[in-house]
Amino acid sequence: MHAARMTATTIVATTDLHRRFGEGAAAVDALAAVSVEIRRGEFTAIMGASGSGKSTLMHLMAGLDTPTAGSVTLDGVNLGDLDDRRLTELRRDKVGFVFQAFNLLPVLTAEENLVLPLTIAGRKADPEWLEALVRAVGLDDRRTHRPSELSGGQQQRVAVARALVTRPAVVFADEPTGNLDSNASAEVLALLRRAVDEFDQTVVMVTHDAAAAAYADRLLVLADGRVAHDGIALSAEHVIDVMKAVSAGDLNPATS
Amino acid sequence: MRKVALRGLRARPLRTILTAMSVVLGVAMIAGTYVLTDTINRSFSEVFAQANSGTDVVVAPRSLDEDFYSEAAPLDDRLVERVRAVDGVAVAAGGIQGEVSLRDAAGERIGGATTFVVSLQPGPLDAFAFVSGRAPRAADEVALSAKAFRDEGLKLGDTIRIVGHEGARPFRLVGSATFGDVDTVAGFPAAVVTLPTAQALTGRRGEVDTISVAGHDGVAPARLRASIAGALQGERVEVRTGAQDAAQQTADLEESFGFIRTALLVFGGIALFVGAFVIYNTFTITVAQRTRELALLRTLGASRRQVLRSVVLEAGLIGLLASLLGLLGGLLLAPGLRGLLKVVGADLPATASVIATRTIVVALAVGVLVTVLASLVPALRATRIAPIIALREGLTAEARSGRGRIAIAALLCAVGAAFLGYGLFGGASGSGAAATLGGGTVAVFLGVALFSPQLVRPLAWIIGAPMQRWAGVSGRLARENATRNPARTAVTAAALMIGVALVAFVSIFAAGLSGSIDRAVDRAFAGDLSIVHKSFGSTPPALVDAVREVPGVAAVSSVRFSEAKVTGKDGTTSVSGIDPETLAQTYRLKWKDGSDATLSRLGSDGILADSSYSEKTAIGDRITLLTPAGKRVTYIVRGVLDEGSDFGLLGGGLVVPNARLAADFNERNDQFVFLRFAEGAAPAATRAAVDRLVATRFPDAETQNREEVKEAQAGQINQLLYLIYALLALSVIVSLFGIVNTLALSIFERTRELGLLRAVGTSRRQVKRIVRLEAVITSLIGATLGLVLGVLFALAISRPLEEEGFRLTFPWTTLALLVAAAAAAGMLASLWPARRAARLDVLQALAYE
Repeated sequence: MHAARMTATTIVATTDLHRRFGEGAAAVDALAAVSVEIRRGEFTAIMGASGSGKSTLMHLMAGLDTPTAGSVTLDGVNLGDLDDRRLTELRRDKVGFVFQAFNLLPVLTAEENLVLPLTIAGRKADPEWLEALVRAVGLDDRRTHRPSELSGGQQQRVAVARALVTRPAVVFADEPTGNLDSNASAEVLALLRRAVDEFDQTVVMVTHDAAAAAYADRLLVLADGRVAHDGIALSAEHVIDVMKAVSAGDLNPATS
Repeated sequence: MRKVALRGLRARPLRTILTAMSVVLGVAMIAGTYVLTDTINRSFSEVFAQANSGTDVVVAPRSLDEDFYSEAAPLDDRLVERVRAVDGVAVAAGGIQGEVSLRDAAGERIGGATTFVVSLQPGPLDAFAFVSGRAPRAADEVALSAKAFRDEGLKLGDTIRIVGHEGARPFRLVGSATFGDVDTVAGFPAAVVTLPTAQALTGRRGEVDTISVAGHDGVAPARLRASIAGALQGERVEVRTGAQDAAQQTADLEESFGFIRTALLVFGGIALFVGAFVIYNTFTITVAQRTRELALLRTLGASRRQVLRSVVLEAGLIGLLASLLGLLGGLLLAPGLRGLLKVVGADLPATASVIATRTIVVALAVGVLVTVLASLVPALRATRIAPIIALREGLTAEARSGRGRIAIAALLCAVGAAFLGYGLFGGASGSGAAATLGGGTVAVFLGVALFSPQLVRPLAWIIGAPMQRWAGVSGRLARENATRNPARTAVTAAALMIGVALVAFVSIFAAGLSGSIDRAVDRAFAGDLSIVHKSFGSTPPALVDAVREVPGVAAVSSVRFSEAKVTGKDGTTSVSGIDPETLAQTYRLKWKDGSDATLSRLGSDGILADSSYSEKTAIGDRITLLTPAGKRVTYIVRGVLDEGSDFGLLGGGLVVPNARLAADFNERNDQFVFLRFAEGAAPAATRAAVDRLVATRFPDAETQNREEVKEAQAGQINQLLYLIYALLALSVIVSLFGIVNTLALSIFERTRELGLLRAVGTSRRQVKRIVRLEAVITSLIGATLGLVLGVLFALAISRPLEEEGFRLTFPWTTLALLVAAAAAAGMLASLWPARRAARLDVLQALAYE
């Protein structure tokens, strides 16, 4: 595959991505020749069994990890060309993160956590955008609460809003519902969905939950460090079927 | 980012305060030292200004050479007439200022250890105002400063005795006076007497310390000064205006107190050095605990620089808080320091506390700087936290290889040892040598601290072994906990190590000194009794004359001390005076070349040189000296002593007959008076007779036999030793805060684990015991390291001193007590963290995070 394949709608592209952990006999290839494109304005779910390489792929796409071979292009920038300072700026300006846990600084209020990426960058929040986010999160009356005073779902919604506050090129969510019950999960996932539909954002979510993946537009399944399935995510049942097929070895690579 | 740092501090006020405390004490010591010394200086400068308020010009003896410690010889009082004759002079009078002691009718001392005697000045020159009674007129009249007069409950007409140069004399109290509007002189009592009386009391008949001059109206002091200087051309005097003189005296005094300031600042510095260890450790731990938080910030786009800045900002704020608290503490500490100095005999005046801008600036700067510098390494470590850590469950900063650290440790130890070696043997002297030694010591401490993580496991294994036996599983867990993070335990222990090493060093050194002096006294003390001044002063020659008359006393011999500049030699050389006819009867000299018979051949130009004065000096050499009295004299070496190699009284310099010391050096007072009783005289009765004489006529002196001499010497050393212990205690306390802090942070980290222990049935008492034993292990590791270092330092410093007869002895009891105290201190420091650990709610602890 070639970078020339990147179209105007591609926001992240990986080319022949390899990632090897360890050395010698103990070496493990977490990723082997993965080439994927993430399209602008699309909600992509990445699934796969433990050790399939789904988290590694996301880390590499977000510039949190360095590939053994291959390259990552994010919003037209080759991440391999960036030094630590430029990578930091890229994370600050073009990427939003939502993690499974420990997303918020306990010493800051909900609103302060929400605008933290802007504070770090030394910028002010656009008041209209901020209002829209706070409303979308549904925590208008909890702005000054500390994370310890919020429920898990509320905390996670603040984290999503925080990931959106800089209007990044792409939001990476790593098991965002992994620690939540189904109601709270639904709220968080609905918020991510809205981010794509209403705010025109791009979301890449790693998950092992078929119900969560069903909120996405596109389903990428990894197995043994390779893309095992690439298609539309229809419903939770469909996702489960795909996963079963993948684990049964019925590979259906790259249908895009 | 700033907000994160600020909120972090506010969210954990206890930790913030605890961390700050490790710097507070050092800053308090430094601020307190400045406040104290500034206050002393201000008190004196006020006194000098007050004393010169009506004085236009002061004539004072010019010091011959800056190297001389002794005061310049006083002025001939005939100069007063010449000054009086100068055009423009209205009043000129000689003045005497000295020290005496006062006794009431019953012989009890009044007015404290330091009492000034001041000659009454005429008319405008008089700085005293008589608030009751009148000024003294007759030779046996005295007026007292008002506070002493009031405090002692004296009445006009009472008889008090003044102990001066010729012994105790009765005086009639005729008045009480204020000095300007103050009822003391620099905080001390003063006795005002007529000039001839003051001259007699200070042993300066025919001499004056200064000549004060008031000019006619309209004569500018500067012009008057110039004309007096012109009239006294060729005399060894300095002529200053009243204001210049006050400034000069203040400056001289500040200089002479400079060493007290430096010494106290050094102890403040040590406490800060120890505090830096605690700060370093605290930040290392908190950065490790905040790894995920910092990684999260990095994923959100915080740059390394922002992370660095937030950690350093946190340190800076803690430093600022510590500095402010320290400054406050310094104000409280200053009177305490003064009290501490008073215990060892340095009674210093103090008016209202002086807080100079410099004190505030230095305190703030030092506190913030130390905290920030100590946090720099942990802060840099924080910048190396990879953003990806935020995504990985349970991953903390990777353990780093110790190879680089050990190399740096070895380098620091080597550099430190080289510095120590150079400082001890390199021939540098004074502040240069002190700086080299200090730098070397700091490097060795840092080196050992860096290496100590390697020692934690073996030491904890040894120290913890008996605990495991006694305390079972608690002991075992304590041992495991202490070695779980060797670097953390090592730095905590290293902070204590510094204090223990210094305490061990000074106690070993002092024991060696005491032992060496004891041996020297046993060797040299050949008489039956010695007489010395009670507070390190000298006794008047009248004492020798009086004691000689006591029945049963066969021989009296005295030793005086002065100094001289030897042509072709840097600095000054000590010169002792002896009585050649009687010395050998009371003091056993150690000769290198000569014998006791040499003493009788000393003659009027003979001198004895000690081998430590110069290796090359031989009998027949000529030595030309400049004496403090301004005389240039040449002596011929008649014998060579070996006193200096054996801690002898006469070691280190030159020895001349007392008659020469009086004539050439103007030194007439005795430092030591040695007595030999007659054959057949009853020793007890003879001593009783001497004691009676001393008590009535020379109450400032006391008699000592051989054993009492040793006791007195040991007592002096111990006094200094306890002062140093008290000052070093500050550093030890700082390191205890370190133990508290480390334990509290570790417990916070192990919350879940403690919950688990409790859940499986560990009692609160057992939890407490685990924490306490961990603290004891940590403090014993520090004590062990400190003890070893202290012994090594003592061994190093004793080598060059062996030439002077210094023999190292180890005060094993003291050292054992030190280790026990360290263990107890560790236990004390763990009380609060242990209680906290025991109080943890099991369910909550398990639910944590």
